[in-house]
Amino acid sequence: MWELIRANKRKSLFLFFVMGICLLVLGFFIGGAYAGDDGGFIGLFVAFGIWILMSMISYFRGDSIILMMSRAKKVSYNVHPQLFNVVEEMKLAANLPVMPDIYIIPEEAPNAFAVGKKPEYCAIAVTAGLLERLNRDELQGVIAHEMSHILNRDVLFMTFSGVLLGSIVFLSHVFLRSMWFSGGGSRFRSKSSKGGGQLQLILIVVALIMAILAPLMARLLYLAISRKREYLADASAVRLTRYPEGLACALEKISLNNYEMKTANKATAALYIANPLKPKGMKLSNLTSTHPPMDERIRILRNISHGANFIDYQNAFTSIKGKQNIIPSSGIRERKKINIRTSTAASTQTKSTKKSTRDLGDLMRAVNKYMFLSCACGLKMKLPPNFKKDKISCPRCGRENHVPIAELAAMSGMIAIDEKNDSIQNNEQVKQDSFVYNRTGKGWETFSCRCGSPKQLSPAFNKASFVCNKCGRKIEIKGP
Amino acid sequence: MDCPVCKNEPMIVLELNEVEIDYCLSCKGIWLDAGELELLLGSSTETVEFLNSFTSDDITKEKTHKCPICNKKMEKILVIGNRKVRIDKCKYNHGIWFDSGELEDILGMRKLDNKNKVLTLLNDMLGKKIKE
Amino acid sequence: MVGFIVAIAILMIIVLSLIGIYNGLIRLRNQVKNAWSQIDVQLKRRHDLIPNLVETAKGYMKHEQDTLKGITEARSKAMGAGSVGDKAKAESELNGAMSKFFLVVENYPDLKANSNFLAVQEELTSTENKIAFARQSYNDQVLFFNNKIQMFPSNVIAGMFNFKENEFFEIEDEAERAVPKVNFS
Ligand SMILES: [Zn+2]
Ligand SMILES: [Zn+2]
Ligand SMILES: [Zn+2]
Ligand SMILES: [Zn+2]
Repeated sequence: MWELIRANKRKSLFLFFVMGICLLVLGFFIGGAYAGDDGGFIGLFVAFGIWILMSMISYFRGDSIILMMSRAKKVSYNVHPQLFNVVEEMKLAANLPVMPDIYIIPEEAPNAFAVGKKPEYCAIAVTAGLLERLNRDELQGVIAHEMSHILNRDVLFMTFSGVLLGSIVFLSHVFLRSMWFSGGGSRFRSKSSKGGGQLQLILIVVALIMAILAPLMARLLYLAISRKREYLADASAVRLTRYPEGLACALEKISLNNYEMKTANKATAALYIANPLKPKGMKLSNLTSTHPPMDERIRILRNISHGANFIDYQNAFTSIKGKQNIIPSSGIRERKKINIRTSTAASTQTKSTKKSTRDLGDLMRAVNKYMFLSCACGLKMKLPPNFKKDKISCPRCGRENHVPIAELAAMSGMIAIDEKNDSIQNNEQVKQDSFVYNRTGKGWETFSCRCGSPKQLSPAFNKASFVCNKCGRKIEIKGP
Repeated sequence: MDCPVCKNEPMIVLELNEVEIDYCLSCKGIWLDAGELELLLGSSTETVEFLNSFTSDDITKEKTHKCPICNKKMEKILVIGNRKVRIDKCKYNHGIWFDSGELEDILGMRKLDNKNKVLTLLNDMLGKKIKE
Repeated sequence: MVGFIVAIAILMIIVLSLIGIYNGLIRLRNQVKNAWSQIDVQLKRRHDLIPNLVETAKGYMKHEQDTLKGITEARSKAMGAGSVGDKAKAESELNGAMSKFFLVVENYPDLKANSNFLAVQEELTSTENKIAFARQSYNDQVLFFNNKIQMFPSNVIAGMFNFKENEFFEIEDEAERAVPKVNFS
């Protein structure tokens, strides 16, 4: 697996180089078309400058730009414990040095992407719709796929080649536009008519051809690479999870989705696990799509029979797509048999549409920092982050409820306090008359211990009991 | 999301028995996101007929409000039963705004609500005495 | 003179590449160590979670005090185990107690619906997975490290500085992995 990454890096560098040459040659000819012999080098220089500048921007600010564009919100553990757990599992499997930052995109369309220039600094973003639809194994498959992109340095490469592609498209666009407006280049001809008119004309023709062809070439190259990377990430995901069916089911569920992602665009589309933009016409899709066809990816995953190593993915791939090397040879060389494991996910009871709509809504609200309160009467109140009063009287029963704004601000600290109250270790302090509190929901809840000291449960509080720090009484928490 | 009537007043979300409404604590109006009404009433033929019967009422002088989601002016819809109720609906279909009591009125006069289950729940949610 | 400089340069390159290989081996060995320590971290985490599980279940499982006691005892045994052999034995006993517990849970729908229980259950499932994935990753690292030690030119350095091949954690095969699996269904 680790040799594979190195082989992958070398290949990436080579392709990146080819695209770079493409840009520089384009710059050279466009420059030449404008200002004759010397212009070529000026053009070269300008193209190089544009490329360096854009690469710098994408290297240093790329992650945050992409995350901002997709409206992804960084979330804490209690918003979705399972997501954090699954990411940590895959972090262990991939032996990643640090835990990636976790973002949730409040969108209904199921999708995910990863960003990060190196494994030491990376982030994974998933949509709320994805979390709502997938079970544990499926989520694991998706996260493993994203983790593979990070491991294989795909993200860095895809952003860089995306920037290159953008520069090429931009340059040819500007050139073609200027040619159009100057009436087929008559301006250039008259300007350089003193000498070398012949050469100039040739340069203009070549530049025109280049300007039309280069973006197409670069685009095809880019798409081919990005598609190959998707297959490779699928293969690596199988290697990490040892469970191809998880990813297959996830992709199946994702492909059944009807929502278009509002926050995705052409520039970021290649990063997602599934193309977030609905195809306008299907005819050219095989050549012009950043992603391999979904049903093909699923069929390959379902065709994996022997084991979970790269060779097994390659064999499944060959049996469906024919002879074509998708895995670098160093990956194939690894012959160790890796067994496919069995499913571990609990058989999920299918939720009613109403229930899943509510859960999805609550997840999006949690992402958007809503506060969840449960009144003792059973009414659930969800307060937006701009709700600033510290008291709210329940519309149903009229009870005054305390709004834990200050506590929410210090939430991370507070949960830590909760967790330190290990009920087992504090056994000797426990008084005989333990106090039972029945939780009404999963949100913030306030009550007072029998000694009168106020207690507050955070949404993340999941202990069965804790000890009152005033009177030492054991307080048992019963679920709703 | 802020109340379209009170402005700058954040609406809170209330949930009881899987029924969810956006509620303004100061004017007691209710906002239902697109699709929530269908979720509330179920997709019976009466509901579909009711939703299709919406026609905008341009002549009214009632003050218009802005959609809390897209901030564009909402249109007035006249619902006629034994009384007339004017509700505000976003032209871009983000949802419907009911002033205090309007949703209950509509549920009461159009027989959308099988055995008044939704109405009972709504009254319970907002702490109103259930009319027998 | 020129010959001397060339000789020095070649020597420098050789020394530098040897240092590079040596550092690479050290890095790999640290990765193996890190992967191994992750297994321990996760095993310990499971021990920490068990009291929560027992606390949550206590109220619901009045008639299963023996099962609960079994888990608590297996846990303290596993925590107290000294040698690697004892540890492995105690851990597998704990696995047995846990499987028994989750079999019994099937008869308590109230407990299964309890949100505290669901949260602990998710944590336990995840910890089981983490143990398995940490082992898997340890084996991957060991494979890579051992390959490096056997291959030229790193085998020369490895021989000089006495780098030893690491052993695989053999529990990774299917039959063994099935045992600690917590069956939440
Ligand atoms: Zn991907
Ligand atoms: Zn209340
Ligand atoms: Zn209001
Ligand atoms: Zn609107």
